[in-house]
Amino acid sequence: MVEKIQHLEMHGITKRFPGVLSNNNVNIHLDAGEVLAILGENGAGKTTLMNILYGLYQPDAGNISLNGKKVKINSPSEAIQLGIGMVHQHFMLVPTLTVCENVILGLSKTFLVDLKTAKKQVQEITDKYGLAINLDAYVWQLSVGEQQRVEIVKALYRGANLLILDEPTAVLTPQESNELILLLKNMSNQGNSIILISHKLNEVMAISDRVTVLRDGEVCADVNTLETSQEALARLMVGRDMAPCRRDSEFFPGKPILELQDVFAKGDMGTDALAGVSLTIREGEILGIAGVSGNGQKELAEVIGGLRKVSKGKIVLNGKESTKMAPARIIEQGLGYIPEDRLHVGTIPSFSIWENLILKDHHQPPFAKRSLLQNRVIMSHSSSLVEKYGIKTPSLETPTGRLSGGNIQRVILAREITRNPVALVAAYPTRGVDIGATEYLHSKLLEARRNGIGVLLISEDLEELTSICDRIAVLYEGKIMKVMPVEETDERLLGLLMAGIVE
Amino acid sequence: MKKVLTLMLAVFTLLAFTAGCGTNTTDASKTAETAPQAKAEKVRIALVLPATVDDLAWCQSMVEGLKAVQKTMGEDKVEVVTSEKLGSAVDAGAAIRQYATQGYDIIIAHGSQYQSVLMDIAKDFPKTTFAYGSGFETAPNIFAYDPQAQDGGYLLGMLAAMTTKSGIVGIVGPVESGDAVKFNSGVQQGVAKGKADVKTRIAYTGSFNDIVGAGNLAKTQMSAGADILTGSSQQAVGAMRAVAENKGKYWLSTDMDQSSVAPDTVLAAQAYNWEKVVTKIIDLRKQGILGGQHLTLTFADGTIELKYNEKLADKIPAEAKAAVEQAKQDIISGKLKVELPKK
Amino acid sequence: MEGVMNSAIIISILATGIRLATPYLLAALGEMFTQRSGVYNLGVEGIMMMGAFAGFFATLHLGSPLLGIIASLIIGALMGLLMALVSVTFKAEQGISGIGLYMFGWGLSGLLYRLYVGGITSIDGLKEVKIPLLSNIPFLGPIFFNQNILVYTALALVPLSGFILYKTSWGLNVRAVGNKPEAADTLGVNVVRIRYECLIVGSMLAGLAGAFLTIGQANMYADNITAGRGFIAIALVYFGRWSPWGILLGSLLFSMADSFQSMVQVLGINFPYELAVILPYVVTIVALAISFGRVWAPAALGKPFQRGTRG
Ligand SMILES: Nc1ncnc2c1ncn2[C@@H]1O[C@H](COP(=O)(O)OP(=O)(O)OP(=O)(O)O)[C@@H](O)[C@H]1O
Ligand SMILES: [Mg+2]
Repeated sequence: MVEKIQHLEMHGITKRFPGVLSNNNVNIHLDAGEVLAILGENGAGKTTLMNILYGLYQPDAGNISLNGKKVKINSPSEAIQLGIGMVHQHFMLVPTLTVCENVILGLSKTFLVDLKTAKKQVQEITDKYGLAINLDAYVWQLSVGEQQRVEIVKALYRGANLLILDEPTAVLTPQESNELILLLKNMSNQGNSIILISHKLNEVMAISDRVTVLRDGEVCADVNTLETSQEALARLMVGRDMAPCRRDSEFFPGKPILELQDVFAKGDMGTDALAGVSLTIREGEILGIAGVSGNGQKELAEVIGGLRKVSKGKIVLNGKESTKMAPARIIEQGLGYIPEDRLHVGTIPSFSIWENLILKDHHQPPFAKRSLLQNRVIMSHSSSLVEKYGIKTPSLETPTGRLSGGNIQRVILAREITRNPVALVAAYPTRGVDIGATEYLHSKLLEARRNGIGVLLISEDLEELTSICDRIAVLYEGKIMKVMPVEETDERLLGLLMAGIVE
Repeated sequence: MKKVLTLMLAVFTLLAFTAGCGTNTTDASKTAETAPQAKAEKVRIALVLPATVDDLAWCQSMVEGLKAVQKTMGEDKVEVVTSEKLGSAVDAGAAIRQYATQGYDIIIAHGSQYQSVLMDIAKDFPKTTFAYGSGFETAPNIFAYDPQAQDGGYLLGMLAAMTTKSGIVGIVGPVESGDAVKFNSGVQQGVAKGKADVKTRIAYTGSFNDIVGAGNLAKTQMSAGADILTGSSQQAVGAMRAVAENKGKYWLSTDMDQSSVAPDTVLAAQAYNWEKVVTKIIDLRKQGILGGQHLTLTFADGTIELKYNEKLADKIPAEAKAAVEQAKQDIISGKLKVELPKK
Repeated sequence: MEGVMNSAIIISILATGIRLATPYLLAALGEMFTQRSGVYNLGVEGIMMMGAFAGFFATLHLGSPLLGIIASLIIGALMGLLMALVSVTFKAEQGISGIGLYMFGWGLSGLLYRLYVGGITSIDGLKEVKIPLLSNIPFLGPIFFNQNILVYTALALVPLSGFILYKTSWGLNVRAVGNKPEAADTLGVNVVRIRYECLIVGSMLAGLAGAFLTIGQANMYADNITAGRGFIAIALVYFGRWSPWGILLGSLLFSMADSFQSMVQVLGINFPYELAVILPYVVTIVALAISFGRVWAPAALGKPFQRGTRG
């Protein structure tokens, strides 16, 4: 067994990428049993710093010491040997392997894989921390929350006593998040050190002992959690005061703009992912779709966008039936679309930022005249969007795939909202987005609502839903459980409906 | 890093290309090339082949014919260059055009598939003589040569019918077209004439150059009872090799005498005498005739020969040989005409 | 028709089918390992040609087909190493490097043959080995147990490959690397090394497949001896859904159809030859079209691996 990490110190860490100074002379430190939260806006350099600690990147300057000894971490396997484990922002699991195989991957050094013994050992760990997972299930069969648990077990099985979690709750349902927080508490009580990256300040407050705030790659604060507050942290992160957005209670919805009538659609596994969904979204309203992800949300967004075939039922967009329209026609009809998989559906990762910003309108004025691209117009349009939406990028020419997770999101938001759609479908638009951007996005959605746009907002964040939606529908196993005005909802009721329980 | 990669790729491709398609394999004429003064009286011949110079069949027979021409006329009088493995007519077209530009006098495109490319290219080089075969369509500067493969096939068929013990003659064909059909039809007629109750079984591999496939098809033929087999095209050696594995099974070769490689297997062969054909083309050109003639290869003018393998002479019944020789004379005299399959 | 299809003929069709399936099986199992690790090697055909030549040449000069087998394995390994260098270390586009390797193998084998052999030359190849007792079983004996050792090897490799892939640590690493190399990398699996190993093993099997053509079937060598079999093997990997048993099924289906159509032609059963020769392809494509179930292509197939790249 490895020597237990009593004290970690990262000192003067600097890391450059082409055109960006991702970490600039960053210092962090951590003791055994402590939970350190790292906060920062999108692109502040949090993931980069953790990747350096885990041996995935090499710093350009600075050093790391464990228990007072300088160490050089050249690869993840060296990090693992030192007792460091990491749960990545984008999961590092092999979907086609079973849970147990994923856990022991890379450790099995005997000729034959001894799954029996491995299972017993893994079971001990899951029992110790009360993590319930079916070890024989394939990872592709698991929910996101379960996958997260596999990631944690993986790190623990490797003897990690310093665990790094990069935005672990971004993709979890509220219940799953709560379970994770309990688990992390339990782990730190047992003497493990934890570094947690999160945009959710309430979680940070609930679980961390100390908070280090990064801004533009530099540490701008290092405070004890007990001596700070959510508001103070938000101010440190963004550099100004934050006021959460709320919808104004005046509500004058217009005529129906997007209607779904008894829509059925098949999911990727060939079963009915949507089983008779009927919804009406009117001009000037935000309809929220609550529900645990995997209950048809993805498919719902896709059928509206024309990306998935409707097997039965009818969709009417802006007065015209769009059930069988091609995506391009649907866009022309005035649908804005913010997909769930931003990196691959919403953008073309290898295209530059300006190309992605005009992706849907590059063929028409003012961006093109007689099929020639108008560079001046495009560039000024793009740079104003980059500024307005606070997209952190070295240049307009940077490939979108190189941006940090939250910044990719902003590129899509900027494009979709400025296209002035009549209806907007947004699937988890604030997942992984920092609070500054979340606030901005909410204000943009509300502005769209004021301008008479009908918005369908799919989200798992109940706070988000209840603060900006006019009505909330709960989706469970492909069916709408109930649609109700936001005033009539509360967290408990929504929670029950999301679990499929009707009173 | 990037540089190394580019370099690697470049070297890779280069290697592949130089080693690859094997264009411009100069053959047997290296001495002739170094004498540009003698150009005036020297005939320069370029040969384009679909398969390899050593296929022991169609291509090799032509290569050896040209060697014989060089030998007879003198190596300083005839220059020969060869490009092989040009199965695709497009690649062949490029090579043909290049030879024409380089001023070769006679360009032989040795395959029926080259007909249309030649028709196209020949117009641009009216002073050059082109030849191709098998075929019959000509142009003012294109000769078409055309072996009467059915005649030899007929004789081999008779021989097979009168020699077989199992009563089954097997044909391992390439693709059902052109010369193969002519030859096979000749064999079929010959077998029927030779002995009434002997059966001819024809099967095709669907390829010209799959020697493994030809070998396998020959094995299937033998397992179904054939004891004398034959077949045309460059893949035929594969079939012959498979026959050679079995005692008491024999092979009849065409295009070229293949008995040198399988002396205990090849009973007899129909062999083309390309020396005579090419010599004729050279002579015609000297007289100012650049093309326009359909040159048939026949027993009558000795451009087709029937060869027996001396080593296996005792395996062929005397009356069979006599009957075959008689039929050959009848073909030469015109008394016997082997029918061509109607398409 | 029933009259001609007697049991001897049926045995002959089936025994031939198994023999014909061998090169596909060997090459496709090799390609399966390669693709399972995330690299597709389109150079199989070229490797087979080199293996065919090496097997032939060693048998010709050393007089033993067993040494021919060893030579083809060595040449296959070298070709695999070359492919690994270009596509894994230098991260060249896999499709293009594979085609390059194919052309290289074709050119080089033809050149070596021209330089060191010359004309058509026969060798004494592998002989059939009757397995005692088993070969006496009526019907099955002559079909399965009277073949040469490469046929037995290929058949034995099917369960063996399955075992290696699903039961050994190495197999687990291979499956991980082919599906999510970033994940394997974060757990200390050496992605580059696994891909090298798979390319080498896969290419050795391709070399062996080539040797089967020269020393197990034709007993001679000629240019382009593979005649497209390497590409068919690649297609069979897709047909077999990257599983050894699927590949066995595909190889047998294709080869049995081939063997069957040959016999149909030979017996003069009234059937157009053009249809007969494409029968194996038709049967395979139809089977591919009607076979259902999820296709689990290795998710990282074709993607070079570089630690810490985004997008
Ligand atoms: N591999 C890379 N190549 C190029 N640039 C990179 C790379 N990794 C990170 N960057 C850049 O470094 C900066 C910091 O990125 P990082 O992912 O660390 O941000 P983050 O704080 O994790 O943001 P988020 O909250 O959006 O995940 C960004 O501008 C990003 O574009
Ligand atoms: Mg990040």
